[in-house]
Amino acid sequence: MNAQPPASDTIAAPPERRESLWTKAAYKFRRDRVGVWSLAVVLVYMAIALGVVFGWWATSWAELEGGKWEPPSAEHWFGTNIIGQDIFDRAIYSTRTSFEVGLVVAILATALGAVLGALAGFFSGSWTDEIILWFMGVLDSIPFILFVAAIAYSLGDTPYAMHVAMISTFWITAGRLVRGEVIKLRGQEYVEAAHAIGVPELTIIFRHVLPNTSHILLVQATITFVAAIKSEVILSFLGIGVKDGMSWGLMIAESTQEVLAGFFNNFLAASVLLFGLVMAFNLFSDALQDALDPRTVAES
Amino acid sequence: MELLQFSVRKLIAGVPLVIGVTLISFLLMVYFGPDKTFDLLGKNPTAEQIAEVREQLGYNKPFLVRYGEYVRELVTFNFGASESTGEPVTSLLARTIPVSVALALPGFILGNLLGVALGLLAAYYRGGLADKFIMGSAAIGMSISFLIVIIAFQIIFSSSFGLNLFPVRGWDVNSIGDYVSYVTVPTLATVFVALGYNTRFYRSVIVEEMSRDHVRTARAFGVPPAPLFYKLILKNALIPIITRIMFSIPVIIISGSLLLEQYFGIPGVGKATYDAIVTGDQPVLKAVVALTAILLVIVQLLTDILYRAVDPRVSLK
Repeated sequence: MNAQPPASDTIAAPPERRESLWTKAAYKFRRDRVGVWSLAVVLVYMAIALGVVFGWWATSWAELEGGKWEPPSAEHWFGTNIIGQDIFDRAIYSTRTSFEVGLVVAILATALGAVLGALAGFFSGSWTDEIILWFMGVLDSIPFILFVAAIAYSLGDTPYAMHVAMISTFWITAGRLVRGEVIKLRGQEYVEAAHAIGVPELTIIFRHVLPNTSHILLVQATITFVAAIKSEVILSFLGIGVKDGMSWGLMIAESTQEVLAGFFNNFLAASVLLFGLVMAFNLFSDALQDALDPRTVAES
Repeated sequence: MELLQFSVRKLIAGVPLVIGVTLISFLLMVYFGPDKTFDLLGKNPTAEQIAEVREQLGYNKPFLVRYGEYVRELVTFNFGASESTGEPVTSLLARTIPVSVALALPGFILGNLLGVALGLLAAYYRGGLADKFIMGSAAIGMSISFLIVIIAFQIIFSSSFGLNLFPVRGWDVNSIGDYVSYVTVPTLATVFVALGYNTRFYRSVIVEEMSRDHVRTARAFGVPPAPLFYKLILKNALIPIITRIMFSIPVIIISGSLLLEQYFGIPGVGKATYDAIVTGDQPVLKAVVALTAILLVIVQLLTDILYRAVDPRVSLK
């Protein structure tokens, strides 16, 4: 299946260095136009979010600057909301919230899934595995929104109940995937060899086996990122998500009073920005998955 | 007999799951949950009053006793009364579950049927224009948040800014006509959101089956598309399809579509759960969590039995 790419291409020559999964993936990814464009869009969003973090723009998202429901103008690009705040600023500021939730949840949930999945897979059949599997089953069986509420109850008034709840449920998919992969890798010669020369078990797992699942983890992290962003919007809308600050979910919650009165700017601003980010990230995630899948060949 | 043995074994194996779910939810919601003492007391309570209420609520009992009470409630199916309305939890569930099922079922069935149809179409013309168009639309559909779809559909179908054909919200069902008018917009929203995921799933399952040798041979021998699909593809693809459909059942019956019910003001379990979350109504929350876990165990059992029914190679061991 891994045929050499056609010789007649003029776009990019195949890499001359030693071939690995990653160089092949990078090569395949660069030739995937949809993937490259979606990555570009994601990076633009990220730049917007970083700008907010550094205070370059959207600093006055909470200030009352105009009248109620002003139409779009040079001063307020998307108009103003019901109490006269600038919708453009609020929508831009919310990009930062989304990235914060997405990155925190994606990184921590994937890391947790990697560690627990690797342990369960390496010791599969033992009680360690049984306990981790039980834990996965249990957390999977609690309805998600109820779980978020339960975490919020027990943590009291922290703004991080949503993050904690997402991390403690979203790691499961990554955990199951890594567990399956590690069970496969465990039987390979290099693991046996490491055992034979007396490498400690934990070193084998985390230095030698786990890095070989990193392509799975990378794809899973992008999927988790999207899931976290989408959940944040719904949870914030229901009032159990973002507590202080601004988010697209809160903007949409605000807009439900406005749309029935015929004012759509708030709703549209949040929806379109959310859609753009989720769509770009979904496409990026698909392209990444294709690029990292050794069974697919780069299309020209 | 073998089946009975298997079922009993499977149900016993489900006990740790139910214990885990109830234990974790009990720990989070009740044991480390909000202290209800001062909700029940008037202003300036004395030390004795506080002690009395704490005694009533069972806060001074050890952890295991309190958790044991929850398990007893679950086994006897008596969760007490809702703290905010005083309605017994069992009658609350009996009232709300049918509404949720009636609300979710049409969307679920339509979403899956259309998903199979589109998935099949895309798989059949794999790599062609139809495939690209269907999968492209699916990718777009998957990227639109459910929340946005609900609000947009409400504007389009139910408000004076759009077609204004259906009631904006509520659930006042006395006849089939009422039912159709209240269920249409939520169903359209459900189908719209589910369709992208379903199509992708069914396409990948069907593509996998279509690329097998026996299907290729059958096609070469000129087996027409309909028997090819039903006999050779769908039958072999049933296992992942059954898994997907069966595990959606607890979601439909118990959690319902919380967002949908909350937004359209439909009195199903989802809305009851949401209200319970907002008011901290522990008896309702405990009942919903526990029932979901039990239902999942039953669904797992049924799924395994169905596997056996569609694939004789699967053994019930």
